[in-house]
Amino acid sequence: MKKAQLLHFAVTVLAIATGSILCSFLRSPVHAAALGAAVQAGGAQDEGAASYAEHCAICHGDHREGNLPAFPPLTGIEHQMSEAQIADIIQKGKDRMPGFPEIKDPELAMLLHFVSTPDASQRAAAGSGGNAEVEAGAAIFKQNCSFCHGRDAQGGETGPDLTQSKLVLADKTGDAIAAVVREGRPAKKMPPFKFSDTELHGLIAFIRDRVALAEAHPGGRRGVDVADLQTGNAEAGKAYFNGAGGCARCHSPTGDLSGIASRLEGLKLEEQMLYPWEAKRSVTVTEASGKKVTGTLIYEDEFSVALREADGTHRSWFKNRVRYKIDAPVEAHVELFPKYTDDDIHNLMAYLQTLR
Amino acid sequence: MNRLQDCFLCAAAALSLAWVSPLAAQNLDNSQLLHPVPDTWPTYHGDYSGRRHSRLTQITPGNVGNLSLAWAFQTHLPAEIKSSPLLVDGVLYFTVPDNVWAVDARNGQPIWHYTRQSVGEHIGHRGVAMYEGWLYFTTPDSHLICLNAKTGKPRWDSVIADTSKGYWSTMSPLVVRNHVIVGVGGDLDNVPGLLKSFDPETGEAQWEWFSTPPTGTPNGTTGGMTWITGTYDPELNLVYWGTGNPTPVLNGKSRPGDDAYTCSIVAINPDTGKMAWGFVVSPHDTHDWDAVEVPVLVDGEFKGKPRKMLIQASRNGYFFVLDRTDGKSLLTVPYGPVNWSKGIDEQGRPIPNPDKEPAPDGRIVAPSEGGVTNYRSPSVDEKQGLFIVDASPSWSIYFTKPADGAYGWAGADYDLWDKGVIEAIDYRTGKIRWSHELGGVSGAGVMTTDSGLTFTGDGNGNLLVLDTANGKTLWHTGLGAPMLSSPITYELDGRQYVLTGSGDVLFAWALPEGAVAAQHATAKAH
Repeated sequence: MKKAQLLHFAVTVLAIATGSILCSFLRSPVHAAALGAAVQAGGAQDEGAASYAEHCAICHGDHREGNLPAFPPLTGIEHQMSEAQIADIIQKGKDRMPGFPEIKDPELAMLLHFVSTPDASQRAAAGSGGNAEVEAGAAIFKQNCSFCHGRDAQGGETGPDLTQSKLVLADKTGDAIAAVVREGRPAKKMPPFKFSDTELHGLIAFIRDRVALAEAHPGGRRGVDVADLQTGNAEAGKAYFNGAGGCARCHSPTGDLSGIASRLEGLKLEEQMLYPWEAKRSVTVTEASGKKVTGTLIYEDEFSVALREADGTHRSWFKNRVRYKIDAPVEAHVELFPKYTDDDIHNLMAYLQTLR
Repeated sequence: MNRLQDCFLCAAAALSLAWVSPLAAQNLDNSQLLHPVPDTWPTYHGDYSGRRHSRLTQITPGNVGNLSLAWAFQTHLPAEIKSSPLLVDGVLYFTVPDNVWAVDARNGQPIWHYTRQSVGEHIGHRGVAMYEGWLYFTTPDSHLICLNAKTGKPRWDSVIADTSKGYWSTMSPLVVRNHVIVGVGGDLDNVPGLLKSFDPETGEAQWEWFSTPPTGTPNGTTGGMTWITGTYDPELNLVYWGTGNPTPVLNGKSRPGDDAYTCSIVAINPDTGKMAWGFVVSPHDTHDWDAVEVPVLVDGEFKGKPRKMLIQASRNGYFFVLDRTDGKSLLTVPYGPVNWSKGIDEQGRPIPNPDKEPAPDGRIVAPSEGGVTNYRSPSVDEKQGLFIVDASPSWSIYFTKPADGAYGWAGADYDLWDKGVIEAIDYRTGKIRWSHELGGVSGAGVMTTDSGLTFTGDGNGNLLVLDTANGKTLWHTGLGAPMLSSPITYELDGRQYVLTGSGDVLFAWALPEGAVAAQHATAKAH
């Protein structure tokens, strides 16, 4: 153990310890005799629990919750290590954790079984019956995802219906879903989540289960169908496009929008039409020397600006050292928001859907 | 000697030192709640008024450029910090869902950590409340846990509401004398919102107040969740609370009328749970615009008359000033883009435009579902007459169709565009005195101090200190994750600290110790 770790350990023990905890630590060998009786009385899980309470709970908590930063939680340890690895750590110790060579089979086996079994509260969350992986995923989904995506994954506050998500439906391996969960979608305000591989597999199994369920029960589904967005008048939309909307100043039905309705449909087309949030912005920075650098805007806050040059080079400046000009024609869409009537939007949709 | 023994000796030696100099009392009495002293932050808002304003003046516009990190505390958990810590007797208490920490406010070292796994929504957690030597912690499965502030050991565990019906709880309770008042979240289901008061000693329920009639009442609404801590006026003995949106959320057909008291501000007697008055901020809401934002209490002159005001910058885009003695409107003005109302009625309430209710082919609506502001706290600087709020002008499209049903969300809405801006509103006129553009939306709350400083953050993870007089940035630093909570401040051993949370880290900021010592020496010389 390094000195710094030792000090950290000591300070943490001080921080969490009371006299009684320290005493119970020191008198643990005396307890061993009493344990025998307890082991006789209960089943394997009870015996494992007794062994855990005896040897492990002092640091890892009564409910395997740990006591960070010094003592890691053990809930979900079965997703991270094999039983053999756990047994090895119990007997030999690891980092600041002392070894417990005195724990031998059958106590060791019961302890291993206990620490590798999700605790009662987690089991309750998963419900009973059915596929265990889906159930585990359901519990994770309910706690972490349902607020935005709805409890049934069919959409809720802010988050889209996952049972209609193109990404979900096209993702045969689960890699694409896993990537979104791990990285989040900052531009869409979805935060990244730190789940283990096993938890992710459960989550993906649950989402697929909901997709299957939604497909088996059509009609009751939330979300926006292509058929919902057919209330406009294409002629009126064309007139708005070329007239009051000012769309024709930047866009052309035979240029950038040629075939747009073949590439996008329904809600995706409408969202893209109202505000294409992935649109690139360019920026030109003029350095103090007069040298100009142009590229794609990568980052901007109150204090700095960063761009990517055509060759991929990343460059950044403090704003107070340079002059800069951002070219973002997409902002014309923002100016339209207060001007649109709902009919204007529906008519524009009808017109864009003729551009196949 | 083996390593383990080594550790025991170190710990034992350290413990013996602790016995020589015992810890302070870790206790909070009622007078400290009524009149907080500078070395405490005893409630979620800092005091009963909800102004999130501090009298401390050590950090000033002139010296804030020297602000530096005093310490940082890392939870090492994935959950982001959304809570306001409490500070009592040199110990900070703060939370993420299922977890409470006691941390030494001088050095950021952990004292104890309580954890309790639970089912239910883990969307966030706002912090604990304190009564004498006890802490009160709400849980995702909607329990209220009483903990010993010295040890973190649970004393009792009471049910606030049935989590199997769809309730969860994230909020920091409000303690008024011997009442621990808690609220709930839960708009995935058609259930009534409620406030519940508990006996701090026994955990027994004292009273319950429901936002709406029971589920199943013909033409009745449900909803009105109570998920942000209210405020309290000791003179009037009234607790003020904002309530959330009605359910079903986007489909209002099954609940005609105003849907009182959802999307409302209500005044409740903390001893009886009886409502003195209610003001519906969004009559017949169909856009999820909870009116839970902090009802801030300010006393002062309004249009030539001394008034006891209640001020809310509401999620629906309107800024409300009420007389809090009777709930009558003094001022209603928009403070961001709103296109959903046909004007203001004679009671000062926006009149919802039925054409902007969600529809099968979509309606463009401002603001978006997240609102012009949300859970993040505003701050009031009375000297400057300003209400400062982290705002988010925004646009979106709202849909609902018969197939979406009349339960829970009952529709879909999609954000189109938004931005973040700190707005300083003259609360006597509703006029915006200055705006500070942030770029993207920020989740940071605002805190002001008597020295004329405004502490907040942007959406890129910058902590910002602004000049309250004009909104100009005086100091900033990048913290790697956006602030999703509201700053607090306190003074310990003559040094002023400001606490902010970003990601899973709690940061404590202060002037360098040398500068503080020099300041004290100068003060003494004078």
